[in-house]
Amino acid sequence: MTTDKIIRVSIWVYLGIFFAYLLGPLIIMSATAFNSPSFPRMTPWECLTFNWFGELFRDERILNGIWNSILVGFGTVILSVSMGLAGALMLTQIWPKLRATYYTIIIAPILIPGVVLGISTLVFWDRINRMLGLGADSFLSNGLFLTIIGQSTFIASYCMLVLVARLQRYDIALTEAALDLGATHAQAFRKVLMPFMMPAILSAAVLAFLASFENYNTTTFTFGEYPTLTIELAQKVRYGITPAISALAFMIVALTVFFALVNEANIKRKKMVAEARKDATVGELAGKIEVPGLISRNPAAIALIVLVIGVATVTASAMTYSPDQCIADVQEQKRLETEKRIQELRDRRAKEAAEKAAAEGAEGGATQTAPKPSNNSGFGGVFAPNTLQNEGADDGASDEGAAGSSNNSGFGNVFDPNALGNDNN
Amino acid sequence: MPGFLKEFFNRNGTLMGSLMLGLVLFWTVGLIILPQLSMLDFSFRPNLPPPEIGGPKDVYTLENYKYLIYGPEGGSQDYNAVDLKVFFRTLVAAVCVTIFNLILCYPIAYYLGQNKGNHIRVFALMLIIPYWINEILRAFALRIIFGESGVLNTLLVGSGIFDTPFDFIRNDIALYAGLGYAYILLMIFPIYNVIESLDHNQIEAARDLGAPWWRIHKRVVIPYAKPGISSGCTMVFMLSAGALAAPQILGGPSSLWFTQLIYQQFNDNSDWPQGAAYAIVLLVTCILLVLALMRVFKVNMGDIGK
Repeated sequence: MTTDKIIRVSIWVYLGIFFAYLLGPLIIMSATAFNSPSFPRMTPWECLTFNWFGELFRDERILNGIWNSILVGFGTVILSVSMGLAGALMLTQIWPKLRATYYTIIIAPILIPGVVLGISTLVFWDRINRMLGLGADSFLSNGLFLTIIGQSTFIASYCMLVLVARLQRYDIALTEAALDLGATHAQAFRKVLMPFMMPAILSAAVLAFLASFENYNTTTFTFGEYPTLTIELAQKVRYGITPAISALAFMIVALTVFFALVNEANIKRKKMVAEARKDATVGELAGKIEVPGLISRNPAAIALIVLVIGVATVTASAMTYSPDQCIADVQEQKRLETEKRIQELRDRRAKEAAEKAAAEGAEGGATQTAPKPSNNSGFGGVFAPNTLQNEGADDGASDEGAAGSSNNSGFGNVFDPNALGNDNN
Repeated sequence: MPGFLKEFFNRNGTLMGSLMLGLVLFWTVGLIILPQLSMLDFSFRPNLPPPEIGGPKDVYTLENYKYLIYGPEGGSQDYNAVDLKVFFRTLVAAVCVTIFNLILCYPIAYYLGQNKGNHIRVFALMLIIPYWINEILRAFALRIIFGESGVLNTLLVGSGIFDTPFDFIRNDIALYAGLGYAYILLMIFPIYNVIESLDHNQIEAARDLGAPWWRIHKRVVIPYAKPGISSGCTMVFMLSAGALAAPQILGGPSSLWFTQLIYQQFNDNSDWPQGAAYAIVLLVTCILLVLALMRVFKVNMGDIGK
């Protein structure tokens, strides 16, 4: 009995660690979007602010990137869903000897590294472009075309997998019946097969759009003059990160959770409707599927409503709330702390200088070697090595240097290495 | 017109048939086969300025591959130690990430596959949500955590485990955590799919016959789940060996990933044939490694991707 209990406890501990690893980073990243320091951080928490969202929406490159991503996404969805559908239909018809080879070919793009796909697309279409004698600005070497082509190569494989799963349940006799009744092939396809495939086509389209939206490895070789959102983000993250990116991440997380809950609530509702239909008369049905019925016994729907209310409250308070006072307070506090530190430093230097002078005086009174530390204290500690280092660290905001760490170890974690730089801004 | 083509058009109609055939041919030949062959061809050519392409200097050469092994001609070293080291380090690290992911994901896949109920749906939802977040943003999130003044360092220093912040990024811990993080779902889903179809009675039977839990896994669950485990491992290995975003964002300044070398050849050196040669080397090595491991563990190619 006790071993059973131990196993149960360890399972829950394991689940806890696992989901902390999975969700923790996202939660922390989302939280940094609301903290005021210019380097995304959770600790120390300074001021609640919504300014990073404003900054995000003023960023031309991000907005342009979102627009390009949507363009590429739509192109990719259309191309890869149609190729995936054709590929899936072909799989059911191709004769068995070739089927294994064919399947390997169309599944391979999933396993080929994205970098390789991007390079091969770039090299191949560059060559086609040269063969046709077109210039460097033709549509074939245009970033939009190349990105759509490159992404579709492997996204079509995902779509194909989704569509094949549905197609396996399709009764080919339905098409045959339509043809016998005088429909043309195009009509049979449009009126019989398409409606059956529609749910799978929709989920393939959503999958394709998401895969396209977040793709980086392939796009980074093909984007040309159409940098997508992911490319812009990568540039930003590599050369200095700001909480504005956290703000974007928070919105993406919130949207994802929102749609996941909508989907979940929908599934649950359908299930409940089906259950209700099983043992209800037509008259009872109308009463059972009203809005209250949707919420009761549907945790996803409740979570959804809570989420929406939460977002609405946050947005409303963001309109009225201003963190300026708090930021000013924190800066004032930091200024005081800095002054205190400078004062401490100055005292220490002065003491050291005095000791040194005393020692030297004892040795033989060599006054010509002016002790360096006393110089610094003479200038009021502004040129103290630590201060300079901190400013440097703030300039290279992406990588807060070891300067910060040396301070931290000395003064505990209260002092923020960037704080000094912020004061100067 | 050959017989099989005629039959195909009879079955699908001329319009639908040619549309289907056209799309499939465009995809398989135009997007998959020809670009790869073109890249292979390109990797054997010297790096020439555009006007000289197709000219007398445009001949096949092994120069680009030699460069990876021996380095620049007349170089001080006998071998291209830097690039080779990066190459092997990438492969070894990708294998380690795969093993780490397998150990982390197998228990949860087993748990999700063998339990039913509402909380399983919630767990599945929580698994899928991170996967919908941009790859770059996921790496960024880990960067916030592993940074010099990040949450983890604050915790460790604050609780007195370390005196000074530990540089997770320079020691590549952030990179490995990020790579593992990125592909968790790709490891869980194939294993989950297989284990879900395992009849729970088999496990009960093994237990009734007196097998301890580890033997049940060794003799019943793992042999059954082998196709799922191998396709999960294949995907994670290929993707982490070919990852670019995580090494760029989470990698230390002194350590490179092989894909970053390829990226540099293309974007900084504008030496496309050299980059193509490196890409070919990466692709071929990864495929050979996967095939060799599949031979060792006796798994069929057909099981992958199910």
